[in-house]
Amino acid sequence: MIEINGTLVSPGKGGVYGEKMINGYRIWDPYRSKLSALWYLDKSTDIASDEVVLYLGAANGTTVSHVADYAESVYAVEFAPRPMQDLLEVAKRRKNIIPVFADATRPKEYAGFLEAADLLYQDVAQPDQTSIIRKHLPFVKAGGRVILMLKTRSVDIRKSPEEVFCEACKELEDAGLSVEKTFWLSPYHADHAAIVCKKI
Amino acid sequence: MNWYGNKGSYSTAPEICAKNIASPDTGTLCRTEDLIEAGLVKDRAEYLAAVRNTAFYLAEKGIAEALSEKDTGLLQMVRMLDELDRVINLLTERILEWHQGETPSASRKYTRAGADKMLQKLAKNASNPAMKPVAREILSLNALRAKLTKEVSAEADKVLPNMSALVGGLVAARLVSRAGGLKDISRMASSSIQVLGAESALFSHIRTGTPSPKHGLLFQHRRVHNAPREIRGRVARVLAAKLAAASRLDYFRGERVPEFIESANKKIDDLMNGGEEVKHD
Repeated sequence: MIEINGTLVSPGKGGVYGEKMINGYRIWDPYRSKLSALWYLDKSTDIASDEVVLYLGAANGTTVSHVADYAESVYAVEFAPRPMQDLLEVAKRRKNIIPVFADATRPKEYAGFLEAADLLYQDVAQPDQTSIIRKHLPFVKAGGRVILMLKTRSVDIRKSPEEVFCEACKELEDAGLSVEKTFWLSPYHADHAAIVCKKI
Repeated sequence: MNWYGNKGSYSTAPEICAKNIASPDTGTLCRTEDLIEAGLVKDRAEYLAAVRNTAFYLAEKGIAEALSEKDTGLLQMVRMLDELDRVINLLTERILEWHQGETPSASRKYTRAGADKMLQKLAKNASNPAMKPVAREILSLNALRAKLTKEVSAEADKVLPNMSALVGGLVAARLVSRAGGLKDISRMASSSIQVLGAESALFSHIRTGTPSPKHGLLFQHRRVHNAPREIRGRVARVLAAKLAAASRLDYFRGERVPEFIESANKKIDDLMNGGEEVKHD
């Protein structure tokens, strides 16, 4: 990742969502993007220029546009029609984004598209976040990375964020991943945890 | 099989690829090399372009379908109406505050003049000339709200004939909007419909054990808010059950079902009139 005086930036044409620029680079705001927040907490977070990324929960394509600045290609999955309209607009101007209009809980419906990914990134606010990861593991290369942005408030309102987080880690280990690092994304995002795993 | 078809029938035409996506085999993943070998593309860039074309084709088709659902227009209208309500209340409060702050004798206590009457007075003879046009604008927003309300009701009668017959077009439209759409509400349990709009009370009930909410948006319907306190929860529950059925009729059949409406309304009215709940098997 590229930083300028401690600020995370990405190389690419600006003006996607009114982001600020420095020296021709687009500033990647940790308060808007969880992936950026993760980089501020763990500077070893990286996306290489030859990597294929499978991105679940692409929303309006804000974070996707930054990921696409770094990665070789991004398969961006989103299910809600309104954000998808924005995502298509972003994808029109970035040739390495493949916008997939589908439900991430049913990968079979778009599995025909997918190729093996180096990085599986998931940021969907759903109760079954770990099961979505499990369903997508066949699309991750051996040794590939999995980053889960766990919105603990979406999983079960009756449990504390810590409980939800511990359960998620255990479920990921059971699914055959090794949990490498975990972070709470405060102060950037409340009640969100980032879980970085590796596929063995 | 992959998105570009079986061996021998390879294609990168979006229409054909889109069909292949529908019946995939997760066992084999796509590989650029396969398409290069088949002579369909010459390099990685062309491969990505072909996948993107199919993805765009499917996404544009999917969005168009989602937006052409018959409730799309109604949802946007009722959300606009609710937002308009909020804005008008805010502006009205503010201008009355402004008026009181400039007129020493002004008070809203012991007066029967409603906000609307006050606005009309201010529009004509406010002491501050800057206030008149503001009051006029709020009045015209009021007129707009009245007009939009009628249009929402009329549209709801068309799109949600059975739900509207039970609780009126406005409340029906608000319920559907809160649920996310007609498709979503038709898949909801009646107990969820009963507390739509009372989410914060519901979650505080689940988390800390406060009393559970009896009604959410449903309270806006006259038969719920006019019901005596002791049976209000019961009315809300029965009404929600009938609404759940009505939403399914609206979604799957899409037309008025008079027999259903009559029997549902009768059951609720009986309950309102102090009758016992009739148990069905």
